[in-house]
Amino acid sequence: MTFRQARWDEPPIWELSTPIVAAGAPSISGVPERWIRKEALKWPELSELEVLRHYTRLSQMNFGIETMTYPLGSCTMKYNPRVAEVIARRKTAAELHPEQPVETVQGALEIIWRLERMLSRITGLPEVSLQPAAGAHGEYSALLMVRAYFRDKGELDRRREVLLPDTAHGTNPASAAMAGFTTRELPSKDGCVDVAALSAAVSERTACFMLTNPNTAGLFESDILEIAETVHRAGGMLYYDGANMNAILGVTHPGKMGFDVAHLNLHKTFATPHGGGGPGAGVLAANTTLAPYLPIPRVMKTGRKFRLDYDRPRSIGKIRGGQGNFGLDLRAFVFALVHGEEGLKHIARRAVLNSNYAAARLGQRLPRPYRPLVKHEFLLSGEPLKSRGLRTLDLAKRLLDEGVHAPTVYFPTIVPESLMVEFPETESRRELDEFVAAFERALDDTDEHLRAAPTATSVGRIDEVECARHPLLSWKDLRQDAPAPGAAAAPRKP
Amino acid sequence: MLRAIGLTVPDELFSDIPRKARIGRMGLGGGQEEAEAVRTVDKILDRNRPYSRFANFLGGRFATRYLPAAVDSVLQRSEFYTSYTPYQPEASQGVLQALFEFQSLWVELTGLDVANASLYDGATASGEALLLARRVHEGKRFLIPASLPWEEKSVLSNYATGPGLEVVEIPFEERTGRLDLARLGEEIRRGDVFGVLADVPNGFGHLDDHLFELRSTIGNLPWIVRADPLALTVLEPPASYGADVVVGEGQSFGIPPSYGGPGVGLFACRKELLRVAPGRIVGATHDKDGRRAYALTLQTREQHIRRSRATSNICTNESLVALAFVLYASVVGPRGLAELQRNLAEKARTIASALAGVEGLRSPRFDAPYLADFTIELGHGTAAEFLERLRKKAVLGGVPLKDPRPGAAGSPERILVSATETTDDKAIAKYASSARSAMAAMGGIR
Repeated sequence: MTFRQARWDEPPIWELSTPIVAAGAPSISGVPERWIRKEALKWPELSELEVLRHYTRLSQMNFGIETMTYPLGSCTMKYNPRVAEVIARRKTAAELHPEQPVETVQGALEIIWRLERMLSRITGLPEVSLQPAAGAHGEYSALLMVRAYFRDKGELDRRREVLLPDTAHGTNPASAAMAGFTTRELPSKDGCVDVAALSAAVSERTACFMLTNPNTAGLFESDILEIAETVHRAGGMLYYDGANMNAILGVTHPGKMGFDVAHLNLHKTFATPHGGGGPGAGVLAANTTLAPYLPIPRVMKTGRKFRLDYDRPRSIGKIRGGQGNFGLDLRAFVFALVHGEEGLKHIARRAVLNSNYAAARLGQRLPRPYRPLVKHEFLLSGEPLKSRGLRTLDLAKRLLDEGVHAPTVYFPTIVPESLMVEFPETESRRELDEFVAAFERALDDTDEHLRAAPTATSVGRIDEVECARHPLLSWKDLRQDAPAPGAAAAPRKP
Repeated sequence: MLRAIGLTVPDELFSDIPRKARIGRMGLGGGQEEAEAVRTVDKILDRNRPYSRFANFLGGRFATRYLPAAVDSVLQRSEFYTSYTPYQPEASQGVLQALFEFQSLWVELTGLDVANASLYDGATASGEALLLARRVHEGKRFLIPASLPWEEKSVLSNYATGPGLEVVEIPFEERTGRLDLARLGEEIRRGDVFGVLADVPNGFGHLDDHLFELRSTIGNLPWIVRADPLALTVLEPPASYGADVVVGEGQSFGIPPSYGGPGVGLFACRKELLRVAPGRIVGATHDKDGRRAYALTLQTREQHIRRSRATSNICTNESLVALAFVLYASVVGPRGLAELQRNLAEKARTIASALAGVEGLRSPRFDAPYLADFTIELGHGTAAEFLERLRKKAVLGGVPLKDPRPGAAGSPERILVSATETTDDKAIAKYASSARSAMAAMGGIR
């Protein structure tokens, strides 16, 4: 096995040409001179080919799903179907301004309306909005809805607390805090919610309990119906973080589990591309109690015609500009259309099978906490590496040298030296076996090699602590950091 | 594979899901082959009429710009578009360096010290900036121009509601649309203000030259400027007149509007605010052999580490659109960008004069400088009917500025009109003649 990532000594783009030194910008009739730039924008003038080469080289120094296995836990790195990319680039999809009259965007409204209906069936919650820009944005919007609901009920003064398990994604407590709630994290028992502890924690102060199911340990919260009853008995709302929905498509859904409001990540379960960190697309789904609070506008259908409805007096209003990430909604719609009922059920079966298979095999090499049956992902602990003076981080870096992406590391924090591994349905058994073999080679390699890893990537190990201690965040900082003029092209080792 | 894990039937994979929580059919229907799905979706999409088929005057916060083919060809490289957030920097130098270049470009455009690697969109970037202002200044009230689009006001109110803050609108001068500086000063003297937002161009498309004096009016209050990136290719950077934070919407640089999303939220601030800033940030550093390398940095501000005490809940951002932003700017080049802005401004003047000749219509409504967008006001009739009459003549006449929510405070019938690259004399003449007949058809002069 040999893997070598491209290693271009590609300078920052502004070093590819001398920025023009012109005296300011062109004047514009009717605009007073005081407005006009005294110094022209400093950015390089390059030919189109020079720009293309620069970014093509950069792309070659980046892992992606079409080149390698990418088992990041809770990220659901599945294949992003090319057909959805083609469709999203149609003029009839891309060249639509959000303020066009509704008569000229009937197709877009129909896509939104139909996708909302599909997602309503998939989540088991009657009303859906595609407005949020991403999962965390959906969480935040949902908590604003919960807030507005309790305000209308006259209970907001006392319902100030959001409860969540210690396995929750970091976005959950962050969203709750932004929405003005205090947060309390409950310790898990055997990787799951401790119902007794939850019962003791809920009170008339509880606004909401936020839960991911299956959770970040990859375990299905089997006590979910009891959890729902406990929260509801205290008058609280139950929130579903849909990041891990891939595992349960068509088997159960938030509605059946007793959740009041949910978000889904279209960039996970519905295969829209992650783009190196985004864009994503969030989905909000709500029961009839919370639905009146969904963001505006809502897409309505009368006969064959679609329109935007702003007449929602209890709505929280707008949570972003435009009508949601329609470009991503369309890709997700194509994905759902191609799969249909049976295809979506198959996704859950295959993803869960993949993760259990890989868990069984990798569990022979590193300890696995909790019960063996998992859903979309599983945890390993790199604790035994400590006896070799190594850490999970060293293993993760060594995996990169095998030409596979590392799992999520050091999350969730309830397991020491954790690795969170997820194999979506689009990975074949051969890919899984190759990943297991790569993992074993990495584990069996010498301590020295693990500490020195990665060596096959475009750069070697990066000291992230140093990076934070001495932040260089733009070309201005780099210029100040440069050793001396003319020495910009520092010698690099081959 | 099932056997390898000691199971016999697939259903055993779900034995941990209680029977009472299981569902039957979802009722989604069968899947479609790729070719069939393409036909199905195209048939629906054919009910759309893209703006390119009209004489198009839509703009404002979302642009309908021509996109050089080279931009999208890079975006379609799977190493970029299918990758995740660069948690393993050694394997992700490509996207990290591109984001570092993106940050550098927004720093260059704004004149500030540091930028982040993107937020969701312009409106949410303003919301995040409001929260940042509160972190560094006491108070409960945040001042914004009344001319801000209603959508953005609504988004800002949502960001303010959690911590119990209030968004206060500062009226504008009737003649110029500029901020009423006297009222702004009064509000500040009333106390409890923690920050101020103003925009370039403002919600009416105009340049408010009060901004040059704003710093002296607001003292040391945190000041957020929302700015259009193309405007900043020709205008003085907001840091030069005292902005602490500059946010914006970057969709116009590199991607089509796609009915409103995705876009990209732009965010830059003074370095003193860095440790309380939202979003992911890429830093330059070295690998252990001294090679230049890039990594996500200052992550202790973020939700995955700081949880409820994070500076923002943002996780997924808009990296690919940030890449489009820097690609677009680099393909068009600094001279090309400035030239584009100048051309659009010239066309906007031609549109404004053509519409000024239409009876019953004030064009431009405000007496203030502008670039590619300006506001018109109808003396009679409604903007909705006016725009509908224009649409029937294949003219997209602009963005109505009225809050569409029933019960919203009434405001005059104003429309934001924008020049685009496809605006030509023929399109302008068509707009003017359609506007003339629309105004005539809507009845007499009041």
